[in-house]
Amino acid sequence: MTRTSAEEPRALLFRALDEHGDRLYAFALRMTRDPDLAADAVQEAFASALHKFDAFRGESNIATWLHRIVYTKAIDLIRQRGKESPLPEEEDMDFGPDDERLARTPAWARPPDEILWGRQTKEALETAMKQLTPLQRAVFTLREVDGMSTDEVASVLGMEPGTVRVHLHRSRLRLRALLSDHFKGAVRP
Amino acid sequence: MTCDCDELGRRLTELRDGALGESDCAAIQHHLDECQSCGALHKDLEDLAQLCRESERPRMPLAVRRRIEQALK
Repeated sequence: MTRTSAEEPRALLFRALDEHGDRLYAFALRMTRDPDLAADAVQEAFASALHKFDAFRGESNIATWLHRIVYTKAIDLIRQRGKESPLPEEEDMDFGPDDERLARTPAWARPPDEILWGRQTKEALETAMKQLTPLQRAVFTLREVDGMSTDEVASVLGMEPGTVRVHLHRSRLRLRALLSDHFKGAVRP
Repeated sequence: MTCDCDELGRRLTELRDGALGESDCAAIQHHLDECQSCGALHKDLEDLAQLCRESERPRMPLAVRRRIEQALK
């Protein structure tokens, strides 16, 4: 959805709420890991979008623009809560020995399909995602869960696509390692 | 281009993004065919991506939607 000159900001934001509200809330919830904070982040984002609507000139998709505002609000709320680190500005932007060590994690024991694709694995994935850093959760959620392109994720997070790929790769490796424990013992002898 | 296991790990994300040229893709695919541990890594990451695509997205509670609608009026 892009802005058309005939549309009032309020009408456009109401439409965005209908079309993208669930995605934005799910993104905020994964970022904050707290339903109350997620609700605050999305509500403040829409209020801010209405207040600063002139900043949206239709150059990007309104969903991308709203995701960017929700991300900023969620990080502000996480920072105020003061319990989580590293915050995005403290993250290492380069590959390092820790990443290479993670890449050498033994491959998943291949469980039967009903376990691999089952409810418990999806719950384990949600639990594992909570152990990522806020920036890793943002990158991974936008790219892998929401299916945004790397360029769109870069636009939401205000970083270069190459930097997005560094964090995306790191988050994938961490999740693979975390889920590896879930699959232990799930393979039939 | 040739690639070692550490480099391949870093470039898998570029491969999945379609951000690599033809010769780089061929070199990585060759490595994946030959190297069991990198092939397993690639398979795990593909399965992880599918798990994510199939995961349920939480829905915005009605009370939150009402609050936002009120803020937009």
